[in-house]
Amino acid sequence: MNNYGSIQRHYVFRAAVLLTFAVYIEHLSRQDALHYYVTPGLAFWVKLCPIPLSFMALGLAAQALFGRGSAICDCGHQLPRSRARSAAIYGTFLFPLLLGFALPDRALGSAAAANKGVSLTFSTDRPKEAAKFQTDDPFAAEFSALARKLYTQPVIPVYPQIFSETLGALDMYKHDFKDKEIVVSGFLYREDSASSGGRFVVSRFLVQCCTADATPLGILVNAERQKSLPADTWIKIRGKLQVVVYKGKETLQIDAESVTPLNQPSTPYVYTSSDSVEEWNELQTAAK
Amino acid sequence: MAAFSPIKMLPLLLPAAFLIIPVVLWLPYHLELLDNAYLYTFKTGFIGILLEALPFVLAGALLSSLIGVFVPDEAITRWIPRRVFPALLFACLLGVIFPICECGMIPLVRRLMRKGMPLHVGVAFILSGPILNPIVFTATLTAFRSHPSLAYARMGLAFAVAFIIGLILYITVKSSPLRLSIPRGGEAEHHDGMRGGKLAAVFTHAADDFFEMGKYLIFGCLLTSLIQTFVVQSSLASIGARPLGSYLFMMGFAFILSLCSTSDAFVGAAFLHSFPSGSLLAFMVLGPMLDFKNAMMLLSLFKTRFAFYLFFLIASIVFTGAILLSGWL
Repeated sequence: MNNYGSIQRHYVFRAAVLLTFAVYIEHLSRQDALHYYVTPGLAFWVKLCPIPLSFMALGLAAQALFGRGSAICDCGHQLPRSRARSAAIYGTFLFPLLLGFALPDRALGSAAAANKGVSLTFSTDRPKEAAKFQTDDPFAAEFSALARKLYTQPVIPVYPQIFSETLGALDMYKHDFKDKEIVVSGFLYREDSASSGGRFVVSRFLVQCCTADATPLGILVNAERQKSLPADTWIKIRGKLQVVVYKGKETLQIDAESVTPLNQPSTPYVYTSSDSVEEWNELQTAAK
Repeated sequence: MAAFSPIKMLPLLLPAAFLIIPVVLWLPYHLELLDNAYLYTFKTGFIGILLEALPFVLAGALLSSLIGVFVPDEAITRWIPRRVFPALLFACLLGVIFPICECGMIPLVRRLMRKGMPLHVGVAFILSGPILNPIVFTATLTAFRSHPSLAYARMGLAFAVAFIIGLILYITVKSSPLRLSIPRGGEAEHHDGMRGGKLAAVFTHAADDFFEMGKYLIFGCLLTSLIQTFVVQSSLASIGARPLGSYLFMMGFAFILSLCSTSDAFVGAAFLHSFPSGSLLAFMVLGPMLDFKNAMMLLSLFKTRFAFYLFFLIASIVFTGAILLSGWL
């Protein structure tokens, strides 16, 4: 059984930890840094967290400072028995806060991409139909509708808002898009394998929920003149689409005409869009 | 009130000292740890999982303490059907109304079980809740647009596994496996003594829940992000080349990745070309039921022996079920 004074100390300390968590989240959202960690949809809920956290801290502090001794008891909640245990437990809570405050926020890059493996091809079943951009599969209808729109463009733009859908649509009808001109930006990623032969990948992380499920997507780039840029540089590629065989799979490749270094965009990751065709229409009207 | 003296704060700084040992032993062999890229990958992954789980854990803690303070004990027992089969059916479908992620589920169920929810119902709810709900179903259907049968199979298998495990527990476990068993009915008088009335009690209890769950959650996030930072996923994939190996691999993969049940389908879909669909089913059913993060949290809820019994049941039934269903997929 813990004595009254020790429970008070625990409560004061816990209140401080909760408050620090609230301050950290508030700090992240003020810095507009939450998008390094979670999707915008989830960020909304994360931003609300400081409210209950502060109330919880307030509740604990009130119990510790003004609560009557009889009211504070361990009603089924374990308070650590020894100092070493308290140290270990509170250390666990302080560790993420320390890490969060001490290191600057940084987006995932090549190191994570190398572990996860960049996806260069997406569609499993290639449509075999003779007609261009037609499909019987209702689930592929969105991609073929988007592919039809992309095909009419003199230079295909890859908007970050529909990055994964655009890559999916291009990949699905890769032979039809051969020799089309494209502009795409992302970070530079080099695969270690010998098969890349001086080529690199322009990639972005697709995040569904949080950074744990971030998947790097990309297109192979063949740039004869540009080989000196370091990995993780943000670049804009302009060039013609080709279909090559890479690691035994038919893969889209851009034969780059120009490679321009960019500043990292304010939102480094890309997210899925609920309706990419609708989004495309909006982006096109906005561009005009 | 006892004064804070610097010497009393010292134990709180001890964890830093714990870190010195692994650093000294590891560092000469893992110089890449010093590489900033790894450090930042780790940080981004770790904080990302933690922030993702935080709203769910807080919601679970708040909901559980609201129930703890405002819902009388008898009410819970009255709502749950008395006979086993309707009770398990009720538990498996509760997730449709309470679409909470597994992180929020455990504090909530702990409270419900203290209020008299039977063990088999509680466990069936923990297992089915994170999968059998409209949000996860829609996400799975979107991820497997070309193979909708996988989304249906996921729902079906999750239901079957939760139901069967609930039944097995009903038959085999008689004594309470809860880590802390407090006499029921003791809480009501206790809250009245709290300063600031019932609302303050809600937040104080939520905070206690948060600290109890939080240490397991943070530890789980830590291990998960370490693995994500240092393990190359394609090197793991070669283990799963053989037919049965792929099932074990995908289940192990689900365990160590500790993804949220709404997003794991998208990760699983990336393996559609290289793995049999049965193994992807095992991945998507096992992950929300049992992974690093929630194994830690289950260990906080149940006694160690029972927790491992439960882990074994989950793994073996998901494995068997996925293989049986693979013929249909």
